[in-house]
Amino acid sequence: MADIQETIQDLGRQGSSIADEIQQTVRDKKPLTIRRIVTNEYLLHVLSMTAFLLVWHQAAVSGLFAGALATPWQVVERFQGLMTDTLAGLTIWGHIWASTQRIFIGFVLASALAIPLGLFMALNPYVDAIVKPVFDIFKPMPPIAWISISILWFGIGEPSKIFIIVIGTFVPCLLNSYNGMRLIEPELYDVVKVLGGGRWNEIIQVSFPASFPAIFAGLQISLSMAWTCVLAAELVASRSGLGFIIVQGMKISDTSLVIGGMIIIAIVAWLSSLLIAGLEKYLCPWKRDIAGL
Amino acid sequence: MTPKIECRNITKFFIQKGKQRVHVLEDISLEVRDKEFLVILGPGQSGKSTLLRIIAGLETPNEGSIKLDGQQIAGPGPDRGLVFQSYMLFGWKTVMGNVELGPMLNGVDKSERRRIAQRYIDLVGLNGFEKHYPHQLSGGMKQRVGIARAYANNPKVMLLDEPFGQLDAQTRYFMEKETVRIWESEKRTVLFVTNNIDEAIYLGDRIVTLKGKLPGRMHEVYDVELPRPREHTDMKFLQLRQQITDASELVL
Ligand SMILES: Nc1ncnc2c1ncn2[C@@H]1O[C@H](COP(=O)(O)OP(=O)(O)OP(=O)(O)O)[C@@H](O)[C@H]1O
Ligand SMILES: [Mg+2]
Repeated sequence: MADIQETIQDLGRQGSSIADEIQQTVRDKKPLTIRRIVTNEYLLHVLSMTAFLLVWHQAAVSGLFAGALATPWQVVERFQGLMTDTLAGLTIWGHIWASTQRIFIGFVLASALAIPLGLFMALNPYVDAIVKPVFDIFKPMPPIAWISISILWFGIGEPSKIFIIVIGTFVPCLLNSYNGMRLIEPELYDVVKVLGGGRWNEIIQVSFPASFPAIFAGLQISLSMAWTCVLAAELVASRSGLGFIIVQGMKISDTSLVIGGMIIIAIVAWLSSLLIAGLEKYLCPWKRDIAGL
Repeated sequence: MTPKIECRNITKFFIQKGKQRVHVLEDISLEVRDKEFLVILGPGQSGKSTLLRIIAGLETPNEGSIKLDGQQIAGPGPDRGLVFQSYMLFGWKTVMGNVELGPMLNGVDKSERRRIAQRYIDLVGLNGFEKHYPHQLSGGMKQRVGIARAYANNPKVMLLDEPFGQLDAQTRYFMEKETVRIWESEKRTVLFVTNNIDEAIYLGDRIVTLKGKLPGRMHEVYDVELPRPREHTDMKFLQLRQQITDASELVL
């Protein structure tokens, strides 16, 4: 943090009011020395990236990994081509969209079901007692284990892929909203009681806002789970999506396609998690950094 | 004159871990007069918070009764305001949002509750911090919000549970001065719990001491007849301090 928020409690200057606890913004200005330039965060980022690309390039040229390693440049070229040319009828954008769309539908479905259910379970012991045993059977099951049955049930089209994503994201969504609400400091409810609010106000004023951060933590976990699931589903049977690109690359021994696909997955998954983080920032303004206000 | 609050023979047990019975309060009887600043002074773990929570209506005693203005209390209500030992501010609300919570829960319309909240924010000296969130405030400022929040609900009685227990000595002393200033500018019946003898003498019209160790029992009642503002170095202050320490050392 560049700005140092300082709370100065100078009791020497006693006034009648808050003047004794002043908040002051002090800007962190240090002189520019060689040491500061060399240890600059961004410079170090650039250096480490360059080193990584050089090592990769060298490894590719020297034929390591059974010669099945494209150079960074080959990967870039391959994907530049794919922006206009098609693979199985779709450009790279089409494939990105195919995966993202599946994730989006599955993710929205799962969170719309799991978050309210988790909150209900935490609020009502009867709902908890009814849902918990069934949920506990499914909880430890890795979502990938559902792929075969989902293809048998829903075929190899979209529904089976979305089903897998729903299964995979449901568990972390539910667990986090459930725990988030159960771990609320009970005295916070006493605040509402003492001020004259009833049970409904306790839920609206405390339960929901206090479990928000946990719900968002659950969404982040769910999202990375969703990417794992969609890839697995696309690897098994698909005609589109980023998982399909990777399998295609493997089948025709096109390593630049495989590696490029992996990189794009990482980028898209990262962007989607930024989106969730942005949504959290928007919905939970109290979590914003002091300096960012 | 009927007392503002009247506690009769309050006894409280807790059941811990299923079967263990913990005896927390034994036969507590006390009266708080109207507009009086009564301090309950007791060592750690003597059931002070429990007593205050019983008076607030958050816990029910196993025996005994509490009357407010001659009426038996039943559960928590806006006629008693509680300031919590560990602040208990809503981190998702601004200072304004926290302070206006009481009027809001009681159906006061927006412009009116803003006006009330602003009045108490100003009273506790937090003018200019209305839009801050609790994590942006220092400990002393947080407890000011806690005090303003309780005041804004216009309770007949203020219950303060070791409100400055988490503050450093200097801030604590400063907040004690502020408490007297706020109390004098808007007199109410106050029940203030502390484990700090100087704080008790500095603030109280009367001091009730509890014996150490569970269950908490009443020990002595002291009248503090020192003019305000009080000085910690005043002879009479120190004499009373000595008297209370001597008496409580016999207990410990
Ligand atoms: N809800 C509860 N259930 C079970 N035991 C409780 C409960 N509340 C308090 N106790 C027990 O009652 C005893 C007294 O607690 P209390 O918080 O009233 O003391 P205190 O004097 O306020 O202590 P401190 O000075 O640390 O604030 C403690 O031993 C505690 O374990
Ligand atoms: Mg306590």
